[in-house]
Amino acid sequence: MRTNPLRAVAFALLAAASLSVANAPAAAETFRLGVKTDALSLDPIATSDNASIWAQLLIYDQLVRPTEDGTELMPGLAESWEQSADGKSYTFHLREAKFSNGDPVTAEDVVFSLERAASESSNWSGFFRPIVAVEAVDDRTVTVKLDEPFTPLINNLAMFSAAVLPADLVESQGNAFFENPIGSGPFVLEEWQRGGKMVLAANPHYWQEGKPYVDGAELVVVGEDNSRVLQLRSGNLDAIIGVPFNQVNSLGADPNIDAGVANVFRIELVQLNTTKEPFGDERVRQALNYAVDREGIVQGILFGNGKPAVSSLPVMAYHNEELEPYPHDPAKAQALLAEAGLGDGFSTTMLVPSGDATYQQVASAIQANLAEVGVQVRLQLIESGAQWDTTKSGDYEMSLSYATSDTIDPDQLIGFTAVNPERANAYHTEWRSERLNELYEQERRTPNGPERGAMFKEMEQIVHDGAPFIFLYNMGAPYASRSNVEGFAILPTSNWRLENVKLQ
Amino acid sequence: MIVLRFVLLRLIQMIPALIGITIVAFLLLRVLPGDPASLLIGARGSTEEVEALRHQLGLDAPLWQQYLTFLGDMANGSFGQSITQRRPVATVVLERLPPTLVLIAYSTVLAIILTVPLAMLAAVRRNSWIDFAIKAVFVVAMSMPPFWLGVLLILLFGLKFPIFPVSGYGEGVFGHLWHLFLPAFVIALGTAALTIRSLRSSIIAVRTADFIDTARAKGLPENAVLRRHVLRNSLISTISVLSVHTSWIIGGTVVIEAVFALPGVGDLLVTSIFTRDYPVVQGLTVTFAALVMLISLITDVAYAAVDPRIRLE
Repeated sequence: MRTNPLRAVAFALLAAASLSVANAPAAAETFRLGVKTDALSLDPIATSDNASIWAQLLIYDQLVRPTEDGTELMPGLAESWEQSADGKSYTFHLREAKFSNGDPVTAEDVVFSLERAASESSNWSGFFRPIVAVEAVDDRTVTVKLDEPFTPLINNLAMFSAAVLPADLVESQGNAFFENPIGSGPFVLEEWQRGGKMVLAANPHYWQEGKPYVDGAELVVVGEDNSRVLQLRSGNLDAIIGVPFNQVNSLGADPNIDAGVANVFRIELVQLNTTKEPFGDERVRQALNYAVDREGIVQGILFGNGKPAVSSLPVMAYHNEELEPYPHDPAKAQALLAEAGLGDGFSTTMLVPSGDATYQQVASAIQANLAEVGVQVRLQLIESGAQWDTTKSGDYEMSLSYATSDTIDPDQLIGFTAVNPERANAYHTEWRSERLNELYEQERRTPNGPERGAMFKEMEQIVHDGAPFIFLYNMGAPYASRSNVEGFAILPTSNWRLENVKLQ
Repeated sequence: MIVLRFVLLRLIQMIPALIGITIVAFLLLRVLPGDPASLLIGARGSTEEVEALRHQLGLDAPLWQQYLTFLGDMANGSFGQSITQRRPVATVVLERLPPTLVLIAYSTVLAIILTVPLAMLAAVRRNSWIDFAIKAVFVVAMSMPPFWLGVLLILLFGLKFPIFPVSGYGEGVFGHLWHLFLPAFVIALGTAALTIRSLRSSIIAVRTADFIDTARAKGLPENAVLRRHVLRNSLISTISVLSVHTSWIIGGTVVIEAVFALPGVGDLLVTSIFTRDYPVVQGLTVTFAALVMLISLITDVAYAAVDPRIRLE
């Protein structure tokens, strides 16, 4: 803690009595990260909010994990793994890792954790449903059996919900375990002041020798964007996430601060309800895509921190490089509308999440763009909690929204945004392509490689042409750190690994 | 003894009001579109998974049954289980309550410290430059949005003159008072702007009353007249203003808590509403209602303390 004589004097004047201020001695090297919201729970099968997921990924390990660039999987707790020739079983060989209390991570722990993740009480069981059995072959070998080949499974095993927990402790402590959890990840929970900060200490037993480099980390909750930026500038924080787009450039100009924008698997789009006229007509949906000026929105509202999107998938594995975003072409849009018998345009309503300035700016830009081709859009603000239910019930025409991926495999997002019915009736657009549904079934049974890649490329092409959405842009995740911080980065899955962070 | 009996009686009278509030809080939440289960699973789950979770959370039961469960949970003191945190609501709320309570009490004390001398000065020197200056400063303070004033103070005291910490709650009594000074000050400015005007005008009115002339006539020095007779008789209306304003602040610290990164209930309330964590929102509503009633109780006791003519019955 820095002491400042002025502070002391000011304080002495204020205070009537004199007690000693309890100054917590700062750890030798603690990395303080400013976050927007606090985690809700550290139980990996109970949570779905990002703050909880990100904290869990610091405390627990999975069998496998995504590489930093998010293109493939690398060993986690499993040193190596192989898939049987028929594709119906995976065998994982565990490394010699220990939980933060010193107990070894055994095959039994993996069996327990995966069965728990697939159980009734798990909010994520659907991701593990294809598993028919998890067996411990010996102390350090686990076999996961499926009743049919299911390629995305291995990616789901890299998800936070597949965290490996110490079986005996979770069984004996129940829910209380997650108040004081034990994991094999780089950090251990030391103290959690709910709504204030989460104090993490380096796990002394972490299997990556010498890591984490820092002695501890604090996730400090600063809800207000400007306050978080100011705390970084004043040196109260070492790094922050969620930098407002309009401040990325000015922050980067500060010689003590490095600012950046990470590429994350997130896509912004406008859902078009194809059961409502005129959105059932493909030409109308394409016209809307031609009418919107993506580049203008990215430059004007995101200050250049985004990329125009080609489909409902962000740029990730098996991306179709040949696709180009719909160009801004109002003339073509009008021609398509005329072809569909709507030469005079039409009026419609778009749901816009309230409480988010960026969304409201984007909505106004879309409104202006569409007005140019004769489409009058009425904006209807809706609280984000109510938006999902409204679109799910089909009671909407257009809805400004987004989708993110929890895994590095495009299977999750294509299933969510383009397959009907599957999980969400093509993200509640009710759009349906038999060919795409068929490709989706095949893709899930095809081993990774060019053949599976070609299926995804074709699916992306079908979505692009069918245009069940107005594809907007891939929005980056802005972050900033003080210049003495090395190795802090936001990963494509939007979380961050702090074991590589160094303070100079 | 009378005070004690009065307090007890009032506490008992609160129970029906609290039950009414539970019904309103319960129903309002259910009217709100959005469902905790689908928000929890959201994009990732299938309809069956959402239904299974709704069943597990008891959200598929008839409304009256859900309400009875809520009353039962209230009676056993747990207030139910938080949907997102899977912990008892009482624990969730109680651990976030102290910063907000300290902030409210602290800002009220600061407001009183600002109000009494400034209002007296303004009233005694009525229509002088000092009266206008006080009025001008507080009209500006009242017109400034608290979050903006907060950010300005953070800029000033966090970056330019690092005298006060600009975030967090601190450790120990002193740590709290030190850390909460700026946020409490921002709230106090808004409160004082109201109370100074109220107290100033009642002081002016009371000063022309006959009994004040009597006090002067019996030879009391002007200072003693002001303190003992004018101030005491002027305070009643200001206490009312202060009480109403403080009750209002209970639900309104949200913005200040966000700006100064305080782990208070404001942030908890907003998060719980967004995630439709019904039990937590219900628990908070009951807590807020109880606090407002407590403040009105304290106000009544304060009336009697300043003005012995008011009897507690």
